[in-house]
Amino acid sequence: MGQFFENNGFLLVTLVQQALLALSLYFPMMAGQLSLASPGFYAIGGYIAAIVGTHDYFAPWRDALGAWIFPLEWLLAALVSALLALAVGIPALRLRGIYLALATIAFVEILRVLSLNLEITGGAIGIFGIPQLFEARFAYMLIFAPLLAATLLFGHRLERSRIGRAFRAIREDELAADAMGVQTTRYKVLAFAIGAVLAGVVGAMSAPFLNTWNARQGTFDASIAYLAYVLIGGSRSVWGPVFGGMLLSALPELLRPLKDSRLIINGLVLVLVSVYLPQGISGACSRLLGFSSKRPSGSGELKEGA
Amino acid sequence: MSGALEVHGVSRNFGGLMALCDVTFTVKEGEIFGLIGPNGAGKTTLFNVITGLIPPTSGQVRLRGRALTGMQPHRIAAHGVARTFQNVRLFKGLSALENVKVAQHCRTRCGLVSGILGTRSNRAQERRVEGKAREILELIGLGDRADDEAAQLPYGDQRRLEIGRALALEPSVLLLDEPAAGMNASEKRKLTQFIREIAARFKLTVLLIEHHVPLVMDLCDRIAVLNFGELIDVGPPAEVRTNPTVIEAYLGCE
Repeated sequence: MGQFFENNGFLLVTLVQQALLALSLYFPMMAGQLSLASPGFYAIGGYIAAIVGTHDYFAPWRDALGAWIFPLEWLLAALVSALLALAVGIPALRLRGIYLALATIAFVEILRVLSLNLEITGGAIGIFGIPQLFEARFAYMLIFAPLLAATLLFGHRLERSRIGRAFRAIREDELAADAMGVQTTRYKVLAFAIGAVLAGVVGAMSAPFLNTWNARQGTFDASIAYLAYVLIGGSRSVWGPVFGGMLLSALPELLRPLKDSRLIINGLVLVLVSVYLPQGISGACSRLLGFSSKRPSGSGELKEGA
Repeated sequence: MSGALEVHGVSRNFGGLMALCDVTFTVKEGEIFGLIGPNGAGKTTLFNVITGLIPPTSGQVRLRGRALTGMQPHRIAAHGVARTFQNVRLFKGLSALENVKVAQHCRTRCGLVSGILGTRSNRAQERRVEGKAREILELIGLGDRADDEAAQLPYGDQRRLEIGRALALEPSVLLLDEPAAGMNASEKRKLTQFIREIAARFKLTVLLIEHHVPLVMDLCDRIAVLNFGELIDVGPPAEVRTNPTVIEAYLGCE
């Protein structure tokens, strides 16, 4: 048993990490916002941890704080992500649907190109030799698993709170929510910022875990991968993204014996789920278990017809 | 007597189309005020202007002397103007109870942190919100359907739920956009009674758009008639009914 964890430590931690990144898309989606900005915040979080962990400027901090430098990195990543989310979110969230998605993709691209060209991010080579928090890969579960648990608890509580109700009202019908006294812009930005902070912290935890950090960490591919996690898992409960993230990041490994055809199967799963389980796997499960059958609801634009 | 809601010189263009043209009238405190006119007369546009969903091209809307024009819809709602929509816009994926709870948003305070931590004040507030929401559901006759998803409710119930949601906002002015659409004669009678009841109970000023003329004549204290964006008459039902311009524009030539 111990051998299994040792051999598969990297994969198991990666599953949790991907579940967290899927959740970072879930929070904006709870307020109806299709944001693909998570890889950008993830990359920023990672760079913050990498720079604080390796740059000479921070050497006195590292000496003074010892292992406490890591929580400081997380905090710093959360703070920077939150501020950046406000700066990006306030103008970008005026856009709706696919246009918001495009704007957030542009955000990810800008960060990627910047990090490729800046000196402090190590250019194309990136930053390597990032100090490790733990020796064994599997030990990183000690930080990722509690973060996942905390995020799930947060999401669960949020859904039942006044703010969570406002989020879901905006998702169902933004215009009606506005007319019913919900400050739509404020809550859309808040939902976006929650996702950004989560992605940033996951990035800051991942940089030591991966040991190196470069511009490949935050790409358009990742945006699409995280979106697939949420779509496959389901976007109507916190469990959906977790399930989708774990399944889709485990699938390529589980299918490894099939060599090249595994990619075909991977793609097939994606297509089949999106065609036959439009609310994702979690949506299908909750319906099977007899919970409410939630239909996707269209919220049309303001209609004229007096 | 000052007006609860004043519409002052409101115009609204959509490109070349004059949807509203210099509309001025005052709705008195506690009045049930009807807004009628043929299709495309600008009635819903006027509702959208009052609730801030569409800015007027010119003119002003005032609520007890306070200018609403230029405010965002949620602020106008917080000032006590609630509405329903012509083509029912409930939060379809939320339960009936949650639909009503959402409308109490601007009447409650607790933020993100107290909601996540489940503080005592948050729990107390949630209990109040729940109690109030259930009370409203009872009032509109949906007490036993609290946990049903709004989209699953029959059409008539959805319309009533939308009124319930508006009431949860604790408004002083209630705008109803064709509340009787799609209802049969007995349902219409019940609705008339219901609107009278809630107006009296919650001390509401009601502004309603309705096509069904007998209902409007029966229910409203005064009526405004719109035609092609222009206000052609305002007055008590008996008076409006006999105005030849109104008859020609709306009720048809005799």
